[in-house]
Amino acid sequence: MARGGGNRSRLLLILLLVSSLFLITLDLRGVNLAGSIRSGVATVFSPVENLFSKLFSPIGNFASDFRNFGQSKSKIKQLEKEVDLLKSKEVLDEDLVGQLSQLKNVLDLAGRGGYKVVAAKVINRGSSATFKQTLTIDIGSRDGVSKNMTVISDGGLVGVVKSVNANSSIVLLMSDPTFKIGVRIAGTQGIGVVSGQGGNKYLLQLLDATGEIKVGDVLVARGSEGGRPFVPGVPVGTVTSVQSNASSITQNADVEGLSNLDRIGVVAVVVSAPKQDPRDSLIPKPAPTVTVFITPTPSPSASK
Amino acid sequence: MSRIRVLNTSILLFAIFLLQETVVSRINFPIDGFSLYLAALMILLSLEDRNGALVFGFIGGLIMDLSVAADTPFGQWALVLTAIGYLFSVNKESIGDFTDSPIIFLVFISLASALSLLLFLVIGAMLGQEIGALTHVVSIIFANTLWSFLITPLFLPAIIKARTALLSNRERV
Repeated sequence: MARGGGNRSRLLLILLLVSSLFLITLDLRGVNLAGSIRSGVATVFSPVENLFSKLFSPIGNFASDFRNFGQSKSKIKQLEKEVDLLKSKEVLDEDLVGQLSQLKNVLDLAGRGGYKVVAAKVINRGSSATFKQTLTIDIGSRDGVSKNMTVISDGGLVGVVKSVNANSSIVLLMSDPTFKIGVRIAGTQGIGVVSGQGGNKYLLQLLDATGEIKVGDVLVARGSEGGRPFVPGVPVGTVTSVQSNASSITQNADVEGLSNLDRIGVVAVVVSAPKQDPRDSLIPKPAPTVTVFITPTPSPSASK
Repeated sequence: MSRIRVLNTSILLFAIFLLQETVVSRINFPIDGFSLYLAALMILLSLEDRNGALVFGFIGGLIMDLSVAADTPFGQWALVLTAIGYLFSVNKESIGDFTDSPIIFLVFISLASALSLLLFLVIGAMLGQEIGALTHVVSIIFANTLWSFLITPLFLPAIIKARTALLSNRERV
């Protein structure tokens, strides 16, 4: 009896394993079974994601807020002042104001670059169990989005549209280890490839081993043929350290991304490339330092 | 195992998957992330008999293959979780009734989640997928194991109750 049960289990195991392998083979041979099923699931999920996005927006970053709790006193005092200022201005919804600010900045960046964009709200992040770093945004093919379009935020590059459904799209983040983008160093015009490393740090491989590169250099996207998947001129990151090795045929450098991918709320999808390459015009400029000169004047009481 | 239980358990798994994809994945955990779905599936597999572990491993894998963020071949998770279901069914009796010792149960669930992720990566690598930097992969697997160990106690009783509710009268006996 038990032996019969064991045989049945073995048969079931073989049947299920063969079914799995059959499905994988179908997928790898280009039968678009998975694509249509996943697209259907995404269409079902996007309204739910939208709903949960509204409900859980304030708690989404709870863990990262908790992690950064141990900040310096001066920072806390500065923030307290800011909170007082915000209270005095009677800001009704801090979250909404933050999103509006991001939206304004991203549209400003797109306007300066001459990109035609469609703004979108981030409604979800990809599960870590997929080993892919992705975002779900609330616009899709109905809004003119298609695969391999550049996605930017107020800081610069965010990633590229990986798949599109009617009402939502999946964006592969530039932090994903499989992500690679051709870049140009603003100023020296040296070219290289930036690849994702899983966090907000990226690796730059400069193609010219003798090329000049230094800490603080800003990298911009070189752009692809027809603006797909990358439009030219989008700021990508800043060089934080250079690893020079005389025996190597390339130079490597560590790069910090200009977009904070952990705190992104609003992005823009570039639906049309600019007519002219914006070159280095989108590089964030440092805020001008205001110098105030004060000439002390003797007080009337002191002159007496 | 009745067909209606297979259907009900599949619906339960899909509901947990929906929760994972829409809520849990939104949370920025301090180190990488946590898969509620994987942990819940491991609990279910650990409580099933031999055939149940295989069937729900396969169905659970198919549901996980539906993830919109995944660009892996459809069926990869089904293959991985069927194999994990088999490992559960083979080793369950030798481990004994671990529901009596919750800590061992939690360690078992966490390690099983880690093993699933590792197996998924290995099969992905065999299929020619890019798996990224080793440190990144290790960080994801470690984080998922850690969070599974810490968070599973919070929803473990709910999963066990839900499973019990789905059993037929005959299966309860």
